[in-house]
Amino acid sequence: MEDLHPRVRLLWTAGAFVAAAVLGAIAGALAWFDPLSLSLPPLAVAGTVFGVAFVVGVTYAALRYRLWRFEVREDTLYIERGVVTRVRTVVPYVRVQHVDNRRGPLARLLGLGTVVVYTAGSRGADVSVPGLAAERALALQDRLRDLAIESDPTDAV
Amino acid sequence: MKLHPLSVPYRVGKRAVSFGWAIVVGLAGASSALPGRWRLAAAALVVLALLALVGHEVAVHRRFAYALTASTLDISSGVLSRREREIPLGRVQNVDVSRNVVQRALGIATVNVETAGGGETEVVLECVSAAEADRLQTEIRRLKRAAAGETDASEAATGDGSRAGAAAGAPETVFELDDRHLLLASALSFDVRLASIGFVAQPFVWPFLADEFGGLGGALLAVAIAVGALAVVLALWAASAFRTFVRYYGFRLTRAGDDLRYERGLFQRYTGTIPIEKLQTVVVRETVLQRRFGYASLAVETAGYAPGSGPSGGSEAAVPLATRRQVLALARDLEPVGDLDLAPAPTRARRRYLGRYAILAGAAVALAAGVHYLVTPYPFWWLSLALVAVVPVAAHYRWRHLGRAVDGEHAVARRGFWTRRTHVVPIDRVQTVIERETLFQRRWGLASVVIDTAGSGGGDAAVVDVDAADAAGLVATVTAGLREHLVRRRG
Repeated sequence: MEDLHPRVRLLWTAGAFVAAAVLGAIAGALAWFDPLSLSLPPLAVAGTVFGVAFVVGVTYAALRYRLWRFEVREDTLYIERGVVTRVRTVVPYVRVQHVDNRRGPLARLLGLGTVVVYTAGSRGADVSVPGLAAERALALQDRLRDLAIESDPTDAV
Repeated sequence: MKLHPLSVPYRVGKRAVSFGWAIVVGLAGASSALPGRWRLAAAALVVLALLALVGHEVAVHRRFAYALTASTLDISSGVLSRREREIPLGRVQNVDVSRNVVQRALGIATVNVETAGGGETEVVLECVSAAEADRLQTEIRRLKRAAAGETDASEAATGDGSRAGAAAGAPETVFELDDRHLLLASALSFDVRLASIGFVAQPFVWPFLADEFGGLGGALLAVAIAVGALAVVLALWAASAFRTFVRYYGFRLTRAGDDLRYERGLFQRYTGTIPIEKLQTVVVRETVLQRRFGYASLAVETAGYAPGSGPSGGSEAAVPLATRRQVLALARDLEPVGDLDLAPAPTRARRRYLGRYAILAGAAVALAAGVHYLVTPYPFWWLSLALVAVVPVAAHYRWRHLGRAVDGEHAVARRGFWTRRTHVVPIDRVQTVIERETLFQRRWGLASVVIDTAGSGGGDAAVVDVDAADAAGLVATVTAGLREHLVRRRG
């Protein structure tokens, strides 16, 4: 079993920061316009909501990192993940249609990449491995592609 | 080959009708608001647009050509940017023909050719003559079979004698829906759950009706509510029956070799082929009403359609209504699954549903009480308490209809009370296997397993709420079965 790159926690924390900031801004705006006339101080409300949301987000990111695992097995790709809902996915290489390598701007800055595996199934795009070191992502993409090619010549339907 | 000449007026008419409303609204607005000469200009604009439309459709018709070769379907199209396509017949999944009322009057038809790749229909021939549509459908099937026959003639010789024999023969009728059963199917198509909408919606609706009916006395009010509810249910029922009647009028299912061919429809006539070799999942569907009278329907999912894009707006129903025994026989004919004696879910799943439904019922009661005490007096708010009494029954029936049977050949998963679906997945069609445990499932030591295939119509084949250890074993069985199939196919 293989873990994700530890830096992915930074990536997810950044995501949590943005989400918490948006939530805080909304809460602050609500307190400012005060439709229910509770007369709470807007800045304090925004700050508290932001703080709570950020702490929850960071904890979630840490748990998510700890629970994320994958393994390149002999004829299947195995993925285990999920904090609230645990999900274990098994993808046989025969079914792989193509493999993508995706890198967002922040991920590029952190030297991370995501490998997305497509199958013909209705949930094909669900299978992705985020937060791998860039070179590891490329290597995994190559490896999956090779395994998919060698496993079966017929169409994957 | 060119499209049928009548397709030009047909397509012009179709586009004009779809823009027609905008034109009518525009004209009405213009004639009232604009001075005379501007009105003339607006009319001229409409005529100009119509001329442009005709010109465009003529150009499209002149520049569109198709040809069926021994191994491909070639299409060249496009007015400004040309597009040449060669579709290998081996990749063609379904060939569907549809004819609406206008098309039937003109003797033309639309042909849709589906391939597995991509989200939308690969080729739309709008329109060809009805005879040409039939010819394309049978020719593509014949050429596909001929090409397949060359490559794996050895397989046909060693295995499946019956299938090879059937392939040579004329199409045989597998199923026909007579008028009596069509009416029955229409009557039974109603989803009883729709009737409960009124029950759930009453706290929301009441505040609006309070002014109108609040003055009526207690007994009179109860009668008024009952009559209203009954009328709504009957209207929903009639609408549902009418929809089913129109959709499945004159339904016939024939089989020619490895293809199923269906025709159906009252106003718009559909015919299509379902290739059995590309079969992904067989679904036996039974609503409460159908179960009560011993009927069921059968759906066959192939890899051709994107989710919800099939001609029937979902998975292709192979048989809209037949006795349960007939449906099971046909299902076995398509996919030789053994006895459907399914293992039940563990009893703690039932306790889980008990908890879940109790929470939902509590929320509904709280809502009704809230409306009563906070918004507007609501005479029968305590009726919601009946929901609480229903909770154990609901939990029991949800649990009772869960079942699964997984071996090296098939995965069978059954669930649902209102509409019970039994998915039969051939193991060699499995794409991915996904095991899920929600927070609540983990508390009870339960897990669900989704068995994903390339057919993506009527819901996932999912084994819901089994023992966590069993779920892991299930995943192992499915993946091992798939591996074995692949080894066998190669060896």
